[in-house]
Amino acid sequence: MPGKTVSLFIQCLVDTMFPETGEAMISVFDRLGVAYDYPPGQTCCGQPAFNSGYSRDAAAAAKHFIDIFEAAAVIVCPSGSCVHMVRHHYPELFADDPAMHSRALAIGAKTFEFTQYLVDELAIHDVGAQFPGTVTYHDSCHLNRGLGIADQPRTLLKNVRGLELIEMRDSDTCCGFGGTFSVNYPEISVAMVDEKVDNILATGAGTVTGCDISCLMNILGRLRRRGEDVQVLHIAQILAGDKGEKR
Amino acid sequence: MHKQTTFLANVRTALGEAPQVERSKSTFPRLFAAPDTTETLKKICGRTVTELNELVTIFLHNGNMLNISSHIAESLHEAADVVVELIRTKEPEFNYVKHVIMHDHPDIAALELWNRFNREAVTLHTTFSRDRQITDKTIASFIGITAPTIGVADSATVIQLTEPGRPRSTSLLPSLHIALLRRENIVADLAEAYALLRQKSYLDSLVFISGPSKTADIEAHMVYGAHGPRELHLIVLAEPVTER
Amino acid sequence: MSKKPQSQYCMDAKKSMDSPRLQASLHSLQNRFGKGAMALWAEMDDQDMRRRVKKSRMKNLEYLDILLAELAKNVRTRGGHVHFAETAQDAIDYTLDVARKNEVKRVVKGKSMLSMEIAIDPALQEAGIEVVETDLGEYIIQLAGDKPSHIIAPCIHMDRSRIGELFAEKLGIDYTDDPPSLTAAARKALREKLLSADMGLTGCNLACAATGHISLVSNEGNIRMSTTMPPVHVALMGMERIVATLDEHRETVQLLTRGAALQKLSTYVSFVGGPSSDDDPDGSKEFHLVIIDNGRSKILADPEFREVLACIRCGACLNICPVYGRIGGHAYNSPYCGPIGAVVTPLLDGINKHADLCKGETLCGACKDICPVQIDLPRMLAALRQKLAYGSDRWNTRQHNPLEVYAFTLWRLIVCWSPLYRTGLKIARLCQRPFVEKNRMIKRMAGVASGWTDGRDLPPIAKKTFDEIWQEKHATPLPKLPVATKEDNNA
Repeated sequence: MPGKTVSLFIQCLVDTMFPETGEAMISVFDRLGVAYDYPPGQTCCGQPAFNSGYSRDAAAAAKHFIDIFEAAAVIVCPSGSCVHMVRHHYPELFADDPAMHSRALAIGAKTFEFTQYLVDELAIHDVGAQFPGTVTYHDSCHLNRGLGIADQPRTLLKNVRGLELIEMRDSDTCCGFGGTFSVNYPEISVAMVDEKVDNILATGAGTVTGCDISCLMNILGRLRRRGEDVQVLHIAQILAGDKGEKR
Repeated sequence: MHKQTTFLANVRTALGEAPQVERSKSTFPRLFAAPDTTETLKKICGRTVTELNELVTIFLHNGNMLNISSHIAESLHEAADVVVELIRTKEPEFNYVKHVIMHDHPDIAALELWNRFNREAVTLHTTFSRDRQITDKTIASFIGITAPTIGVADSATVIQLTEPGRPRSTSLLPSLHIALLRRENIVADLAEAYALLRQKSYLDSLVFISGPSKTADIEAHMVYGAHGPRELHLIVLAEPVTER
Repeated sequence: MSKKPQSQYCMDAKKSMDSPRLQASLHSLQNRFGKGAMALWAEMDDQDMRRRVKKSRMKNLEYLDILLAELAKNVRTRGGHVHFAETAQDAIDYTLDVARKNEVKRVVKGKSMLSMEIAIDPALQEAGIEVVETDLGEYIIQLAGDKPSHIIAPCIHMDRSRIGELFAEKLGIDYTDDPPSLTAAARKALREKLLSADMGLTGCNLACAATGHISLVSNEGNIRMSTTMPPVHVALMGMERIVATLDEHRETVQLLTRGAALQKLSTYVSFVGGPSSDDDPDGSKEFHLVIIDNGRSKILADPEFREVLACIRCGACLNICPVYGRIGGHAYNSPYCGPIGAVVTPLLDGINKHADLCKGETLCGACKDICPVQIDLPRMLAALRQKLAYGSDRWNTRQHNPLEVYAFTLWRLIVCWSPLYRTGLKIARLCQRPFVEKNRMIKRMAGVASGWTDGRDLPPIAKKTFDEIWQEKHATPLPKLPVATKEDNNA
């Protein structure tokens, strides 16, 4: 297996609310023989502040992130939007600070989203997972539009034994999360996620998956409020062959 | 002019230029540089009849999707037959008499329509320059006939230039617009059409027409005949030529 | 903490979301035109065209003073009048003056958002002049005393029966809800207005400096009518709507009609470069081009926002935006709605005043993808939020929400110091206990967070965070930084 040790960048929502996603990612790496470590002291990439316009506060978080991860050989994160933040917005945040700017560019170049790292960097298309059941996949915006990742997760899912992938209508339409948007404009946000939920239900799939826990949390929250019990799993949990705890 | 001076000074300030120093276009020759179209023009002039016929096919196919009714006429006489048939079968929309208005153009004159209607209540008008009643005649007409200068196959467009004896309203006010287009005036796409247009850019008015007037403003329901003609009939005049 | 009172934006948005009719219209509009445009871009033979046109739009902005002077010179050579208006009032005064000199009693209008931006209709009406919109959708809106809700399809929020009732009342025809019959009724009524008007008032889609023409696109033919039949034509032009050469015009206009309605060209593209000649029986005998700044030079001056002036107003971004797709156009409270409106309205009319437009999107990026000239609207939305966050002298913007400022300052302290972050999580985990329901979800929260739980459940903070699990399972403390492990790997 490739020699680089992966530094795990565990998105704050995964860390606090969905730790099983992080564990699943580890068990996929274990199965593939990929070495990893977990740089301590990591918190949040700064995206909530950046998207709300608090770029100076976001820059402070970015600097913290860069300090923590700078020595890493490669950084892998189970969240497309955080990787988008690091890769594309960190350099913007330090546009006026050449030293920080080049550090930001260097960090961005070695930060990968989980499925992107597996498929594009390690050329792995089959992680040897089993998952009996029907699954539909949601394309998260920053993952899809920001990083251009749409085929990689599908490639991995199609090679999971027992898994039947059913595409939903408008899989690449925003789920309505949008960070603080979901709290500031709840009615619009819920109207948007309702359409997503309708499209998920229309597939009849038993499980919905994606590469970004924030979207999945939004979808999960609405599904449960509507009394629907479609399983919501991060793609790492499916690739770990772990059906996960239902909730 | 004072307004223009301060306005443009503001623009220069916004661009970080010295506000009071007028910038001349001669300092930036590339700004208005136009690509060399000699090759394009050569290509247009050098088309064989077979190539032109291919363009006609493309034009008609694309026009069909835009609800353009097309006819191919192998002679002016055949073209006149098409026009006569339309005048006979179509009914006026805004009044009860059949007036037809047509551009002062040699091809339209050559149709000799006046020979066809000597025993019918059809009135033919030509938009001779300096006729002060043209507008009234046009308003009264249910069919307008023009001979556009250029046809564009890719977008199914006819390009109508405003010239003496060829006013704007002939292709606009009547319910039906008949465009008589010579096959050799058809070009492949807008790039070719613009290459030709560059030689006409002194004109104060011209219009691209790609189909009958239409609207979809009510529940996205497509309706033809919003303000302009509700039908556009294209007659391609393709006189047989013996190819060498 | 109590809930914020609902803003006008939220209330208008809710009204739209509660209308099944509008939701169905928006849905089919986005399905057809949004997806259609994306498919069109993907299929286009010339995959470089959008980038090329964007580049030329940006280049032309850099030389805007030269282009405008050239345009004015060429129009004047043909006998047209050109007026440069720095403000809305200036443009209104000039137009009123032209109307007065020509004893204008009736003005027919081609669809122009700029005319709404400068609010010229009320000024003309106050002067005793009848103003008639001639675009069918705009005409319906005018008859109803309503406001347009889409850049290209202004009356998308009205159904055929409403329009039928309106026509029966205002035009005195028998009630019908048949679109062809309704269109025919408007055609007849408007033809009379168009043939008897004293002045045509239009916008300008794209001017060409080198040849000195403005060009106007339409499908209905109303714009051709408005520029052909009345003796006077006044065209209002936003100063950025200009290209240098005919070649740039060709490519830009094709992107405009494709983005707007998936057309290779609209039914009509008219070029007007001055008054008609004395020999012409029609065409306006007086042509006035009013070039308007009204806040655009301020946008031009700010490198962060200059890009928005590359916009060609095709409205494609409305046809894909998931927020516009729910809330419709009225909530934007501006002639410019959708993602482009969310950026350009605050810049023209005040960032604080339109704070909801800056903040009311998810930054999903669909608008950037669909834009024929690839304008990065999400980037500019984020930049507008920065002005709201910290205030801006240049944009005369004050801090929008002082409480939020404190909240993010606190957030910054927490995320930059992990022991505090970890402690905070432990406290939050304790506090959430009473709220966690049997299905391990939180159903109700107070204050700002109620925004989430009003419509959604929330997963609680896990019994053990990943960080805590890691500390337990990987008990052997790893080297603090992976420097040492690098060598392990190569072994």
